[in-house]
Amino acid sequence: MRRQKALPTLINVIIFILLEVAALEIVTHHSLLQQSWVAKAGQFFKGHVWGGATRVRSYFSLTQMNDSLSRENSILQGELLQAREMLRAVRLDTMKLQQQEGFSSIHAEILKISRNKQHNYIVLNRGFEDGIMEKSGIITAKGVVGIVTSVSAHHAYAMSFQNNDISISARLGKEGGSGLLVWDGVSSNGAILKEIPLQYLYSPGDTVYTSGHSLLFPPDIPLGTAGQSKVRNGSTNEISIRLFQDFKELRYVTVVHNNSFEEIIEFEQ
Amino acid sequence: MRKSSFWLVYVLLLVAQLVLCNYANFTPYVCVTILPVMVLFLPIRVKPVGAMLIAFATGLCVDFLSDGLLGVNAIALIPVAFLRNYIIELVFGRELFIRREDFSVRLHGFSKVFVSTLIVTAIFLAIYVWVEAAGARSFQFNLLRFIYSLAASMVVSILCFQSLAAHSA
Repeated sequence: MRRQKALPTLINVIIFILLEVAALEIVTHHSLLQQSWVAKAGQFFKGHVWGGATRVRSYFSLTQMNDSLSRENSILQGELLQAREMLRAVRLDTMKLQQQEGFSSIHAEILKISRNKQHNYIVLNRGFEDGIMEKSGIITAKGVVGIVTSVSAHHAYAMSFQNNDISISARLGKEGGSGLLVWDGVSSNGAILKEIPLQYLYSPGDTVYTSGHSLLFPPDIPLGTAGQSKVRNGSTNEISIRLFQDFKELRYVTVVHNNSFEEIIEFEQ
Repeated sequence: MRKSSFWLVYVLLLVAQLVLCNYANFTPYVCVTILPVMVLFLPIRVKPVGAMLIAFATGLCVDFLSDGLLGVNAIALIPVAFLRNYIIELVFGRELFIRREDFSVRLHGFSKVFVSTLIVTAIFLAIYVWVEAAGARSFQFNLLRFIYSLAASMVVSILCFQSLAAHSA
């Protein structure tokens, strides 16, 4: 019954469109003003249709674009690390610019990440065949993510920073006191900076950086901002930190390895 | 006999429209038309496709034989024919189509015929004014032209639908 009614309506609509187009054609054929008006309307319509199509296409290619931006970001981060190492070398010895070994960096994607436990972990899509080594740090532009603990040919297993067993050497501001940064055990972007001597003054909102005292992470990576503090044992401050990196948003990371790591460990032994 | 007299009146009104188009150009703000009411009063048995073809032919005929822009009356009149049945159903109800009965002032009252005529004339003039202006005239001018033309056309249409209705039943 519905189909019986729909068919004549469809025919009516088709005839209506055909007749309107024919009439419009006659109008535009006989008047330049109407011709340019219709042409302008056509351009406007086409602009919107093609513009819309381009926007839709861009939306669906966002993943690809994201991948390429992330790779580019990783390369830039590596270059930044090298530049920092060079700068440090210049600072240490202004008479002689030493070629530092520094950190090497590899871009990786997180395949799996746990966030609901006290000992969280991360699985990456790169392994030793890609150049990943054990005892490498995992970072992003927004902070420290974890430490690689074991590596297979194509995958790496890492302890997340959201793990009670991890502490990172961090510093308040560029020249402030150093302490240990640990996860607060609750939130996806909360941490605690421990063992900051009382003589180091700070203000809430100050940025916390990696100190560079650890062999795993390069110095001066911004980690988060300082919040409220408590005095512990009458001698040190314990400061709550809001991390820049929210672990819920993690997808791409950079694995950094200290090229002098083995040499320093050997020397220590 | 009644059927043939309807078409005779239709042709006479067409001639009247041509006279209006060619001689009733008092001001650019007013355009008098009786074409919508002519299409509205086509017999109920004329299906929408037929009505649209008649509207197209009528519009082109007026365009060819008057000084106006060729095709503009056809463009404005085809939507009137396309929407004619919906408007009749909206104003007079569905029974008209079931009984295949043409409407008239005598049977359905002046107000219903007036409202349906107002709707079709407004549709026609809105398209006519918009297409003829082609973006070259201000909105204010178009609005005033639409209002004045609608008022003038309704006065002439009331005179017409009396004669059309008398011959369509």
